[in-house]
Amino acid sequence: MEPINILIIVFAAAIVIGVTVASIVKKRKAKKSGSPACTGCCDCCTRCPSATNKEHTL
Amino acid sequence: MIKFALAGNPNCGKTTLFNSLTGSTAHVGNWPGVTVDKREGVYKKCAEPISIVDLPGIYSLSPYTPEEVVSRNFILDEQPDCVINIVDATNLERNLYLTTQIMEIDVPMVIALNMMDEVAKSGDKIDAKKLESKIGLPVIEISALKCQGMDELMERAYEESKKPREGTTVLKHSALGHLIGDVKISLEGKGVSSPLFHSVKLVEMDEIETEAHSDCVKMVEAFKKTFNDDIFGTDFEAMVADGRYKYISQNFSSVLTRNVKKGEERLTNSDKIDKVLTHRIWGIPIFLAVLFAIFHLTFSENFLFLGGFFAEDWDPLKRTWFEGLIFNGGIFSPGVMIFNVWNEIIVGKLFGLIGSGVESISGIAPWAVSLINDGVLGGLTAVLSFLPQILILFLFFSILEDSGYMARVAFILDKLFRKFGLSGRAFMPMIMGFGCSVPAMANTRTLADEKERTATIRVIPFFSCGAKLPILTAIAGAIATMSSIKNPDIITYSMYLLGIVVAILSVLLMRNTTMRGDVPPFIMELPSYRTPQFKSLMMLIWDKAKHFIKKAFTVILASTIVIWFLTNFTWEWKMIEDKTAVSQSILASLGRFIQPLFTPLGFGSQLGKYGWVFAVAAVTGLIAKEDVIGSFGTLAACLAAAISVEVADIDIDGGVSAVQAMVDATGATVPGLISFIAFNMLTIPCFATVATAKAELSSKKTFNLTLLFWIGASYVVSAAIYLIGTWPLTAIIFAGVVAAVVVGIVLYNRSHKIA
Repeated sequence: MEPINILIIVFAAAIVIGVTVASIVKKRKAKKSGSPACTGCCDCCTRCPSATNKEHTL
Repeated sequence: MIKFALAGNPNCGKTTLFNSLTGSTAHVGNWPGVTVDKREGVYKKCAEPISIVDLPGIYSLSPYTPEEVVSRNFILDEQPDCVINIVDATNLERNLYLTTQIMEIDVPMVIALNMMDEVAKSGDKIDAKKLESKIGLPVIEISALKCQGMDELMERAYEESKKPREGTTVLKHSALGHLIGDVKISLEGKGVSSPLFHSVKLVEMDEIETEAHSDCVKMVEAFKKTFNDDIFGTDFEAMVADGRYKYISQNFSSVLTRNVKKGEERLTNSDKIDKVLTHRIWGIPIFLAVLFAIFHLTFSENFLFLGGFFAEDWDPLKRTWFEGLIFNGGIFSPGVMIFNVWNEIIVGKLFGLIGSGVESISGIAPWAVSLINDGVLGGLTAVLSFLPQILILFLFFSILEDSGYMARVAFILDKLFRKFGLSGRAFMPMIMGFGCSVPAMANTRTLADEKERTATIRVIPFFSCGAKLPILTAIAGAIATMSSIKNPDIITYSMYLLGIVVAILSVLLMRNTTMRGDVPPFIMELPSYRTPQFKSLMMLIWDKAKHFIKKAFTVILASTIVIWFLTNFTWEWKMIEDKTAVSQSILASLGRFIQPLFTPLGFGSQLGKYGWVFAVAAVTGLIAKEDVIGSFGTLAACLAAAISVEVADIDIDGGVSAVQAMVDATGATVPGLISFIAFNMLTIPCFATVATAKAELSSKKTFNLTLLFWIGASYVVSAAIYLIGTWPLTAIIFAGVVAAVVVGIVLYNRSHKIA
């Protein structure tokens, strides 16, 4: 198989696995750091203009 | 590090002051044990760094709300070096009520008289020196918004923090003055700090104090036996409140000189506007008209309905760069103009270049070209094409909220909401649902009644969030092409109204069956109208755009890759070379498996061999609602070859054309398409919202019932739309079912009367 095709497969797999793992890690991190109500499934609190730090605090 | 606390009423400018003083050093967290924001930052311009803690906005130090308990405990237990009490100078008497309570604590204190710029603008005058001498505390005039007086404030506060201060009370000469003094002496004997504050609270029979100092309660009880006020009897809490307000009125009213002629009532600009916008009869129609105007400006292809004056293909910009972007038999709305420019020039050209570039890479396999062009670019194009209209809609809603109008809408809807078992307070989380359901559900924490809160959480997803907008827009565009309704904005507006109507009916059903209860009273402070700040609006839009693009290039990108894979491979892990054999793919077989479930809804088995696309798209919406159109884009691109063989040549260059391709391939009808929109709007929302609902609802049982509720509501409403739209006589059957449900509810209520 040509290297470019291998690269494309690896890249596609990395995106799918990376997004899945990032979601799981974010959820676990939010449970540890933030209020019990925060599940870390979104970035609403971290992108809120009135919130100035980047921890999940919802 | 020395510590200062900012205390004051909500909306007095505390956060603005906090942000100005602390800048980028601010840190936001939660007070332990409660879901109340805790903000801390550092002020570095004094002789030494000062830690600033922004306490929650409160009206008093009573123990009725988590915010009040947090503030009170912080001042009493953590003993800050100084309390800066921010007082809204435009509402002096109301704000000073809290001041008279904080004064009773043994803590250094200064008063920051905020919004002095607005006082000056109105022509009123406040004698700060006179206030300072009467109240016995330093008073500094500031304007947190204009950053005036901040340095002087911090210097005075720093000076005061070096001097110990004993609490004073305005109730010394009131009818309860002696009792307060006696209780204070008793507490001093026990070594209690801030004895004056605790003694006043004990006289009020404050829950926290009576538990902590039960022996002093006997003194108060004994006094009650010998005392009886003409108006308040032995309600000492009411007497204390009355005493405070009387003192404020008698002693501090003279510091304020109003710019109004004697005998005249001054109407502020906000009052004048409110006479129209909160009119008893016209308030709600005006709100609906404003909402329609927003949708018209964003989605209309016949702006101001001028199309009837021009020929069908009228376009004065023909044979120019802007052909078809601004005019086409009528004038496009600003939202549609921006949408066209974005898709023709930016998304279309850019992604077209990338697609061509990929094809020209030496050695690249055809499947790799398909993965990138059909899978990735097809899905991304479909989703990103709607970015301008999402931002424009979000901009309009932000303007309404920032201007203060949304607070008025909550007020005018309160009377109507009460008929359905909710208060106007529930409107605020619902309206947030138009942006995103996640913070909307979190915002229901402001609702004290648990049943009202549960009912509101359940109906929030019915208020279509920004993520559902691509579904609405794409399918409305397809419907507009197929039917006599040529204005997609009317379809989009109607779908939003449908969500609101279903929400109201659902609440009616819940509040008359399993969630019956009294509707709590609704008291709300109406902020003054103000011009939204351009900078903060642009920051909000930028923030929204970043979030949307980030989601497109992460979650949606991953989803489109998975969908491409499932569409191009069989269960035997063999790639499908012949595109017309797409029905052998993994996704097609999974789709066909679930397709019959959607038959009563109009997008199931009746749609033929490609109808599974609708079922699959609806399921991918569980990950993120934008995925529905992303899936259409990917699948339409993947199925293009097969569909062209059987139906017609198709040209897919965005979400709308992807849907049109699917409609052509499957023969979906208008009722079926409207039913599809309704299903996606009302069904189980995205995973993030589901997780938030699970966290916010009181029990696992309530959460499971909520999931069933969403599935049931979406199925029933979508089925009704399709069946009545296709066979109008079925409306009689549905009417009969509704009548039976109403009778059932009435009989249920009679047999389960609330005590």
